Amino acid sequence: MRRLVPPLAVLAAAAIAALAVAVGIGSVPIPPAALWAVATGGGEPLHQTLVLELRAPRALAALAVGGLLAVAGALMQVLLRNPLADPYVLGLSGGAAVGALAAMLLGLGAALVSGAAFAGALLSTVLVFGLAHGTGSWTPTRLLLTGVVVASGWGALVTFMLAVGPTRQLPGMLYWLMGDLAYARSPWWALAALGVAVAGAVPLGRSLNILARGPLQAAVLGVAVRPLEWGIYVAASLLTAVAVTTAGSIGFVGLVVPHMLRLVLGNDQRLILPAAALAGGALLTLADVLARTLIAPEQLPVGVITAMLGVPLFLYLLHRSRG
Amino acid sequence: MSRAACAIALVLSLIPAAAVAERCVEDDAGATVCLDAPAERIVALSPGAAELLFAAGAGDRVVAAVSHADYPPEAEALPRVGSYDRLDMEAILAQRPDLVVGWISGNPTNQLERLDALDVPLYRSEPRDLPDIPATLERLGRLAGTAEEAASAAADFRAELDELAATYADREPVRVFYQIWAEPVMTVNDEQIISASIRVCGGENVFGDLERLTPRLDREAVLAADPEAIVSGGMGEADDSWLDAWRRYESLQAVQAGNLFFVPPSTLQRPTPRVLTGTAELCRKLEQARR
Repeated sequence: MRRLVPPLAVLAAAAIAALAVAVGIGSVPIPPAALWAVATGGGEPLHQTLVLELRAPRALAALAVGGLLAVAGALMQVLLRNPLADPYVLGLSGGAAVGALAAMLLGLGAALVSGAAFAGALLSTVLVFGLAHGTGSWTPTRLLLTGVVVASGWGALVTFMLAVGPTRQLPGMLYWLMGDLAYARSPWWALAALGVAVAGAVPLGRSLNILARGPLQAAVLGVAVRPLEWGIYVAASLLTAVAVTTAGSIGFVGLVVPHMLRLVLGNDQRLILPAAALAGGALLTLADVLARTLIAPEQLPVGVITAMLGVPLFLYLLHRSRG
Repeated sequence: MSRAACAIALVLSLIPAAAVAERCVEDDAGATVCLDAPAERIVALSPGAAELLFAAGAGDRVVAAVSHADYPPEAEALPRVGSYDRLDMEAILAQRPDLVVGWISGNPTNQLERLDALDVPLYRSEPRDLPDIPATLERLGRLAGTAEEAASAAADFRAELDELAATYADREPVRVFYQIWAEPVMTVNDEQIISASIRVCGGENVFGDLERLTPRLDREAVLAADPEAIVSGGMGEADDSWLDAWRRYESLQAVQAGNLFFVPPSTLQRPTPRVLTGTAELCRKLEQARR
């Protein structure tokens, strides 16, 4: 276990540094001395509001959402044994989007939009679970196919709602679909879910490692494959539902962060899962800082930045790993 | 005396009145907005809100606005706090506003709720009909302590609107198609404030009965409705290119009679006092169509 510590320590330091940057930088410049005053419980009221009410909750939400998506992506990739799997591959973000956009069309407030997104995500999970379970044999391929088709169905509903939605609501709907941490309210649920997930998944790491090599080998080596697979599915779905509910469907983090870590750290789930939580969180936190400040006071959706940062980094790692 | 000193003197002169009158108004969301003192640092979260504030005599109390707040010209120089559909919350708070004028259907609901949660006084605005415009002027004037100027602006608006209505509203009806967007073709229904201008001018919106506020149409629907006049805004204040696309449909009454009219979009589409300029122009155009 000792070899797990150094990489995690580095990633934890990166996550903390990302949080510090996120709290320190915004469209309003705050000098370091004033930041320190706020950190020690004093400072001007304006600075207190900016740091404690706006920046800190948003930075923590970014950290949690990035971590949730990366962990959920890593779990889905193990479950489906498919490198293209991400948290949304089974239609979960589509279900959440349908819920959220329907709530927006009805003109409901932000809390109800979040609630509807969560309900939509759960509905999609149950739907895919039920349909893939069906009769007869169950395989990851069948689950994947069911998920992809259900996702297409949600996609059609989303497009329909965008087409009939009032013009003035379109920007809000599009930003939700692109993922946007301006929607993040309280970060605590997401952080708690992330903590529980990592604490729960790491002890199962050995079984996950065996499962990643294939269900037959896993069964031979004494892993209870079916319960483990369903457990992964439900856990990854819940994590994604919390993430999507907090900040809309932010793409890319869940797909690419686990791959990046595997390229650098190897494919040991005991290391990859906590590392994904930290690296995903740090990446999304930094991406959100850029989204808030690059063209301030205009604001960008964070999904744009995660892809712009992540694509070159991932391609570099991939290129290096071949050589 | 400097302008600042003038402003202070003006504020001081209003204090006795302020102490008597309750500085409370109801906003368009039905919430009561109360201020202890006249607002002096106002942030406008839509171009229309900025225009209404200036018209209500509170222009020198507006400290920031969203992008595209371009009228009156002074509004263009204001610091920006993002765009109406994505507000920069930090930039808003950094202005230390004592009143924020938001836009119900344009600003993100969650960001307005956040302002509420941060105890920033928030007036939610959404004028849906022409009489709502002078009413909004009066309410904003009350909050900004410029009630007198606002009342006179509101009275002017009502008088001018009444005059237009008296001249045109009962004239022979003209069946109008108003185009707000070209691709896809979009119009407005009777709930939308542009239809109110059409009614004042004695026009009749051919798509007024549609259910959605801004319905998307295919061209066939326009051919079937066969309006007597087609009125459009455009991408800019002098871009009438959208009308050209209709000229090839010679079966349209509007095309045969040459009743294709352009009205600069900002004068007709923004619910501000300038809507009277656009409405007057629309009335003249429809009068032309009657000949």
